[in-house]
Amino acid sequence: MPILEARALTKTYRLGDERVVGVQGATLTLEKDAFAVIAGPSGSGKTTLLNLLGLLDTPDAGTLVFEGADVSALDERGRARLRRERLGFVFQAHQLVPVLSAEENVALALWIRRLPEHECRSRARAALLDVGLGGLEGRRPDALSGGQRQRVAVARAIVGEPALLLADEPTASLDSETAGRLLDLFARIHEERRVAFLFSSHDPRIVERADRRIHLSDGRIASDERVPAGARA
Amino acid sequence: MSRWAVLAARNLLRHGRRTFLTGSIVVVGFVAVTMTAGFVSQTFSSLKRATIRSVGGHLRILDPRAAGKTDDEAATILLDDWPALAGLLSRDTRIVQAMPKLSFFGLVVKGDKSAAYLGTGTIPALEKQASLAADTVVSGAFLSRNDADEVMLGTGLSRAIGAKAGDLVTVMTTTPDGGINAVDATVAAVLGYPIKELDDRILFMPYGAAARLLKAEGKANSVVVLLKDDRDTAREAEELPRALAAAGRPVVVKTWLDTAAFYKQVRLLYISIFFFMGLVLAVVVVLATANTMTMSVFERTREIGTLLAIGMERSSVRALFLLEGILLGVIGSGIGAVLSLLLRAALNASGIMLPPPPGATHGNVLHVDFIPLAYGAGFGVMSVTLLVAAWWPARRAARLNPVEALGHV
Repeated sequence: MPILEARALTKTYRLGDERVVGVQGATLTLEKDAFAVIAGPSGSGKTTLLNLLGLLDTPDAGTLVFEGADVSALDERGRARLRRERLGFVFQAHQLVPVLSAEENVALALWIRRLPEHECRSRARAALLDVGLGGLEGRRPDALSGGQRQRVAVARAIVGEPALLLADEPTASLDSETAGRLLDLFARIHEERRVAFLFSSHDPRIVERADRRIHLSDGRIASDERVPAGARA
Repeated sequence: MSRWAVLAARNLLRHGRRTFLTGSIVVVGFVAVTMTAGFVSQTFSSLKRATIRSVGGHLRILDPRAAGKTDDEAATILLDDWPALAGLLSRDTRIVQAMPKLSFFGLVVKGDKSAAYLGTGTIPALEKQASLAADTVVSGAFLSRNDADEVMLGTGLSRAIGAKAGDLVTVMTTTPDGGINAVDATVAAVLGYPIKELDDRILFMPYGAAARLLKAEGKANSVVVLLKDDRDTAREAEELPRALAAAGRPVVVKTWLDTAAFYKQVRLLYISIFFFMGLVLAVVVVLATANTMTMSVFERTREIGTLLAIGMERSSVRALFLLEGILLGVIGSGIGAVLSLLLRAALNASGIMLPPPPGATHGNVLHVDFIPLAYGAGFGVMSVTLLVAAWWPARRAARLNPVEALGHV
């Protein structure tokens, strides 16, 4: 069973008096072991499609099936619950809460599930250790480097053991070396935790390492390419 | 402290100066409310004491025929055998004293000058202990004996007839049976009564002399009862009629408050001012806090978007901002309470003299009462006010679209 099935997703926006097409008729299926990227130039609709697939936004038309259930018509609370329990998010900017320590930022993803404090804390520490930030649990975001912050964000995304991790331009604000290490981390998490990944990026390093390359152009899926293991970077 | 309270507290500290300024308004508001409540309470106490002293006691005992009558109508109805009634009252351990009052009016004459007066016949020793008149002697000495032909005149009245302490005046009146009687009396004292209308008319005479003048020996318009404790007033007003009726002496009992129209008006005025001031403070606190919280929501839009994106319920986002508001209210109130207590202690130790309250002759040393209810209410009101102030910004935060919020610059 695929983890995600999108059928003819369409999203338009109003810009003044004009209606702008964000995504037009996007149909795709994502497998549980996917390490896929939505690629395309700026303005092609990558983030819009990722937001639709991540249940952050609602489509104007089309259906979305997540883990076998039609979630197109889910209400706000239902979508929030799925995001909380089955999805993980990594954003372009780390989007950490500045007044919380690294450990607390990670635990935040479990706090909102109302889990016991000791469980939140121990799982947060384990996730930070997993992303290579053991010993930095008590530091606040402003005392961490850009790469470390993004790793905290990754730890926050994986601590809830999601089925699908969505990452929107995760390397955009990182230097080349840091971005490379972050991609290595993503790949390791994908392998070890069997988490499906869906990136939105025009970073060639991500595109080259993805096993699935979905190219968008003007809001439409221009190509959907499955890449054999040997052809990946 | 819960994790959310910790987060709320840290968010408040994120913009320390802004939180300090907003919190200062809460603190000042709390101090203002509690100090004003303490001051108003002290003013009420002073006014109450002055009112009770102006009556001469807490309760007025009247003949049962005075029931349902106006004060003017009741003034013409005399109690018989007040000493027997006083004897019954003396058995009550809550009562300090019971003194008869005879009310009369007429003309007081000195030489070729005369003026209308409002007279009160009273027992000098008891009157001196309980009444405002004892505090107002400006010349001469208080009435000496119960049977002496003496009077005390208000300053205005003495001036009207050109009398001073030691002078001889003639007091004329109409007796209850319609006759006219007069007595020559020495002016024992001139009183500086604090209410001008009374000062121009008031005359005190020993009960014995007044009773002879009115041909009303043993009678009284009322017997005024002074209690040991103000708090017994209502209970005694309820129990005394029953007890006296059981002893074969039916009476009507009125409390000092029943006829204290001035006290009630001043109290109502002060309470109105207090509530108006409180309302203004609440509005100021609401506006200042709402502004702070709105700025906070605006600055944290992306953060709110992140919280929503990772699955935080909108109600939880709203609760987080409301918690920040309540926390600010509680902390501000706590600091305000400490400051208020310190300021109260300093003012009470300062010995500052206040002018006399309305109807009193002497000012009081400034004393701000400690009103636990005001502190409790202050905490409650400030917390609710901050909750109200945070409501709109919190609602705005909770209604943000996560996609738009994440893209907020």
